Amino acid sequence: MGSMGWDGFFVVLVCCGATMLACRVIPLFALKGKNLPEGVERALGFIPPAAFAALVANDLFFPGMFDAGPWPAAAPLVAAGVVALVAWRTRSLLWCAVSGVAAYALLSLV
Amino acid sequence: MLGYVAIGVPCGILSASIGLDALQAFLLSALFYSGAGQFMIPNMWLAGAPLASIIASVSLVNTRQMLYSAAFAPACRGVRKRLAFLFAATVTDESYGVNVAKFSEGGWSVGRATAVNLLSQSSWALSNVAGVLVGNAVGVPLAIASFAMTSIFICLLVTQKPSAANLVAAATAALGVIACKAAGLSGPAILVGALAGVAAALAFSWAGRRG
Repeated sequence: MGSMGWDGFFVVLVCCGATMLACRVIPLFALKGKNLPEGVERALGFIPPAAFAALVANDLFFPGMFDAGPWPAAAPLVAAGVVALVAWRTRSLLWCAVSGVAAYALLSLV
Repeated sequence: MLGYVAIGVPCGILSASIGLDALQAFLLSALFYSGAGQFMIPNMWLAGAPLASIIASVSLVNTRQMLYSAAFAPACRGVRKRLAFLFAATVTDESYGVNVAKFSEGGWSVGRATAVNLLSQSSWALSNVAGVLVGNAVGVPLAIASFAMTSIFICLLVTQKPSAANLVAAATAALGVIACKAAGLSGPAILVGALAGVAAALAFSWAGRRG
């Protein structure tokens, strides 16, 4: 696969940038100054655990990932377990990123 | 802020692998500013996806920001429009996690939250540029670089309050994503999974109140 080039880059930048800005700004202004119903407020509270779990699952699971046997397919899952432990002990984004990359690199050498 | 460096450098390395230069990585980081999105673009491009499908998938994943934006609406009541706009435009997964925690502790203002956002954005943009330079100088395996982002998401997930309803939200969202991907719907998987998680947790908490 070759380089993306300036043309492709601009299309991606403008399109993704525009949808991103709209998604970030419109809901805040649409809801500002209004009291949210209690149910909506509760739903908003469930967004972080649901969104982060979805992002993690999206990174870790692929259809047919175990077709070639349990290893090395399980290596990212083991590395994820290491990161979860570090997160629980330190609650630090930096240590999680560092330990995650280190664990993943070591496990893919095994 | 150091967390951004730890994922910004790998993201820059990944960007360099599809031929983006330092200026392009900087523009993308400053204007688009999305860790997940900026990891997705090179990953999908390397997988041979056409531009239209990259944009559609990234935009679908962007929609999770609507949920964050809505979550900050109560905090922005009575805040000047320009500041509220700047704040809203610079929210992202990680600074969302940080600011939500600060707002719920109390004694936190939109001005300070915006400062957090802008600092995060600058360290993100600069470390992406550094990553491009590193990526052009040495070969780093790309799967390792993208695991930095996964690690950040795991950290943000683990540091959520471990209530029963939150566990239902997280488990349902993860299963929803896996189910979507198994059905071949990898583009909307994150959005669908997250919405399913929120719906399940709401149903769970309503059922708990009645019972």
